[in-house]
Amino acid sequence: MASSSTSNLLTARVRLPQHVVHRSFVAETVVLNLRTGKYHGLNPTAGKMLEALAAAPTAGAIVPELAREYDVEPAKIESDLVALCQGLLERGLIEVVDADPA
Amino acid sequence: MQILPEAPAGPARERAARSLAFGLPIEVDPGIEIPGIPDVDAPSLASRPPTRVRLDPTELERRWNGAELPPERVREMRDGETVLLTVELAPPAGYLLHVPGFGRILIAPEGTELICDPEPGSSQWSILLPAQALPLAATLQGFEVLHASGVVLGGRAVLFAGPPGAGKSSLAAALLYRGGVELLGDDTVALHPHGGAPIAHPGAALLHLRPAEHERLSTRELAVLGPAATILGKQRYSPHVTGSPAPLGDLFLLERATHGPPVEHIESVDPFALLASTFNLSVRTQERLVRHLDLAVALAATGRVHRLRVQPGMDATQLAEIVHEYLLEQ
Repeated sequence: MASSSTSNLLTARVRLPQHVVHRSFVAETVVLNLRTGKYHGLNPTAGKMLEALAAAPTAGAIVPELAREYDVEPAKIESDLVALCQGLLERGLIEVVDADPA
Repeated sequence: MQILPEAPAGPARERAARSLAFGLPIEVDPGIEIPGIPDVDAPSLASRPPTRVRLDPTELERRWNGAELPPERVREMRDGETVLLTVELAPPAGYLLHVPGFGRILIAPEGTELICDPEPGSSQWSILLPAQALPLAATLQGFEVLHASGVVLGGRAVLFAGPPGAGKSSLAAALLYRGGVELLGDDTVALHPHGGAPIAHPGAALLHLRPAEHERLSTRELAVLGPAATILGKQRYSPHVTGSPAPLGDLFLLERATHGPPVEHIESVDPFALLASTFNLSVRTQERLVRHLDLAVALAATGRVHRLRVQPGMDATQLAEIVHEYLLEQ
């Protein structure tokens, strides 16, 4: 399994396991782990990150667009993204797979 | 004030009766009378196969003892050290509901069969059917049951959800006294997702109020609520209940509050408040968990979720007036 260190997380591809579903509400995204039956709440920014992560070749690939959208330094987005990914990993809500060779 | 006795049970039927509640056509074996769920004519039943309710302690024991896996306790209600209710799951037998002093009911995994084993001497055991077992069966058959009371007003379901003691039943009752509405359900309302446009199905024709409220009721209000009986420290009434499902109109989330407007539309609904409004904590299959979440999405998407603040000194009659006026303005 890939390391969850900061650098590895940003270069790895992240995906949502089949046992995880998420739904967006106006001010919150709810993530449901079907294995544990637990619901988790994400604020809108984290919810947007989760959706972007699921479609991106690597976690780090979503940083530039988010930095533009929120008008903050990429380094800040990176640190927030890594913190989010670590939290989601701990709860079994994302999986880290090898970086996309393409 | 005198509590009216329940009507004495009539002679046992010789054949199964057919009923309809929580969206389920129900076939009830002779010897079982389900409180608040009267017999109906077969043609009015829905198209899905009937859910069969029968008395058969031996068969219950056989199935439960034949389960492939040891039972998992999926729900427990206690009052201190006293166990009030348990639900255990053991495939392929199903869900075993046990309420000491009342009896046991085994609900098949698909929710289409309920096998009853009343405790000897329990005259009120069958209240478990509308209060717990049938809502659980409805959940297993694709419904989501809310811990809510509800009425039908202008052809649409108006639901009141909130924690125990928030005043859901009192508010539904006050709307009934006011007139122009029909009861949809008290404590439990079954919603069918219906492609994201939820449909509310009537439950049992039962409504429960605290004894202190009963003492305050006028003769006219008592007449609206129908026959009364005492059960588990509450007054149980049998008002008329609507005969048809209704599309969901408005959902009010009741909360105790000391300030703020009595009622306000919620622009951004807390999804966890919607998820917490479920009546069912026992069925944790993946399909049901996703349906539960999707229903919360559908409820939020209606744009008709409101906060109803119950403030000190405010009685159910005032609340009913506030709700009625608010709905007229919508």
